[in-house]
Amino acid sequence: MRKARCLMLLLGSLGSWSAAGAQDVVLVANKGVQISEISNADLRSIFMGTRTRFSDSSHAVPVTLKGGAAHEVFLKNYVGEGPEEFRAQWRKVVFTGQGAMPKAFDSESALIEYVAATPGAVGYASRISSQDNVKLLAAIK
Amino acid sequence: MIIERPGYDSDQPPDGSKPEDLAHGCKAVFRRQEPRIHRRQGRGGPSVSRSMYLFLFLLVCTCRGSLYAQDLSGIVVHAYVSQGFLFSSNNNYLSMKSSDGSPQWTDAAVNLSDLISDNLRVGIQLHMYQLGEFGGSNVFVDWASGDYKVNDHFGFRAGKVKTVWGLFNDSQDIDAVFLWILLPQGSYPIDHKSFYLAHVGGDIYGGLPLGKRAGTLHYDAYAGQSTLDLNDGYIKQFANIGLVFTNSLGGKTYGGDLQWETPLRGLILGSSGDMQAVDGTAPTGSVHSPALLTPSMYTQFSRGKVYLSGEYDREPVNATITIGSAVIPFVVDGRSWFAMGSYRLRKNFQVGSYYSHYVNKAVDTTQTANYSKDWVMCARYDFNAYFYAKIEGHFLHGTALGYYSDTNPNGLAPNSKMLAAKIGFSF
Repeated sequence: MRKARCLMLLLGSLGSWSAAGAQDVVLVANKGVQISEISNADLRSIFMGTRTRFSDSSHAVPVTLKGGAAHEVFLKNYVGEGPEEFRAQWRKVVFTGQGAMPKAFDSESALIEYVAATPGAVGYASRISSQDNVKLLAAIK
Repeated sequence: MIIERPGYDSDQPPDGSKPEDLAHGCKAVFRRQEPRIHRRQGRGGPSVSRSMYLFLFLLVCTCRGSLYAQDLSGIVVHAYVSQGFLFSSNNNYLSMKSSDGSPQWTDAAVNLSDLISDNLRVGIQLHMYQLGEFGGSNVFVDWASGDYKVNDHFGFRAGKVKTVWGLFNDSQDIDAVFLWILLPQGSYPIDHKSFYLAHVGGDIYGGLPLGKRAGTLHYDAYAGQSTLDLNDGYIKQFANIGLVFTNSLGGKTYGGDLQWETPLRGLILGSSGDMQAVDGTAPTGSVHSPALLTPSMYTQFSRGKVYLSGEYDREPVNATITIGSAVIPFVVDGRSWFAMGSYRLRKNFQVGSYYSHYVNKAVDTTQTANYSKDWVMCARYDFNAYFYAKIEGHFLHGTALGYYSDTNPNGLAPNSKMLAAKIGFSF
């Protein structure tokens, strides 16, 4: 009985890990952005502040969430950093006078609204609806 | 730089010192004279001035309500504040009475920036710090610049600009971004940071993609003028040998940094070089230091929870100090390196360790006053995205760095242990 309970706990934890591993976000951009796909390397460079332009040389305006699961998943999957490292990197940029931190939002709806209204804006959300006036970007390895 | 690293060994023979050995010469003068500056604050107790309280008050006012950066019609405000505490077993460190435990360690900065257009950004950062007898009530302009980025390959900024050199020079005063309380002092001496941090002049910078399999080359080249603040550690050392400067001194500086962001994500390799001249005249004499190359080579690997880095720096000095009719050559060949690593154990808890090594090769390297070896262990806890606390242990061997004669009147023990703690917030 005890062994069976342990086995069930193990299987349960494996199941929840798989679900977390499968979690992802969608990349959203202002409809004026001409590109439809973006490489992970470009995405990382734009969100870490080492690039300010998309591959077609148009200006990129990265925006983020202030926190939450979608924020952490995005940073892990596309930027390759934890929230703490991401924050430290941007603080370094800001306090050395080398750049401005991406605008951050409390909610996905506020982020999507800003992306829809801001030329060059690029961000992420856990999901979007058909009413959202943004375009989806495909991430390529 | 231009004068010996702080460090005085009580068993040196000052009166019989050779003229060419300025380290001994400095000590000889030190023994006969009381330092004449940095007496605005009392020794031993916390002495944050009224204007610092006002500055801190204003800083807190800017962040009432939400701690996130305030967007005031495009103007973005960020700030940080930290308060440190230092306790050492033997010697008094960094001009504090640290053997009794000292909280004379406060840092605060506020910056404002605005994106005028997609390419043009302007900003200013005001900084106030108290580190023992250094810093004090003055509010410094940390940087104030206009930055025009033509594209990702080329941009330029002008004004008072942070100096990019080595891994940490431009960010060494931003406590919030580091696990460490004290960076490796052989490479980034905190009592001299105000001199190295920034220059008035201009930079060109950019990134050059080398192809998908070769990474990116980032460059920064600068030229301008650096100034020694009158509340800096070097000024205190000059005062200890009889040169009391009443006007700032400094000189032309130029240099650059090349950093290769390798295709292996998180790995960078880099090299910097800085040429810095210093000239100054005091009522009792003068100092002249021609520009010499100060090179740095470094590497860093950062991925996920793991951080590793190392750096090697060389700091040659060939200066002439004139005091009255005495002309004293001052030669230093400082070599420093460090290796550090850290690991994030939990989302809000990080631990790490580093070893920092400094030696002045121009003099007898077996003397404790001419080297410094420091083993460090550190932990940082982030209460949330804004508030954090750190604790750090140091095991110091040698007295070449961070010690001042007037706070160690009975001489220096060759080894010392030290505990540092800090709390801070940043937004």
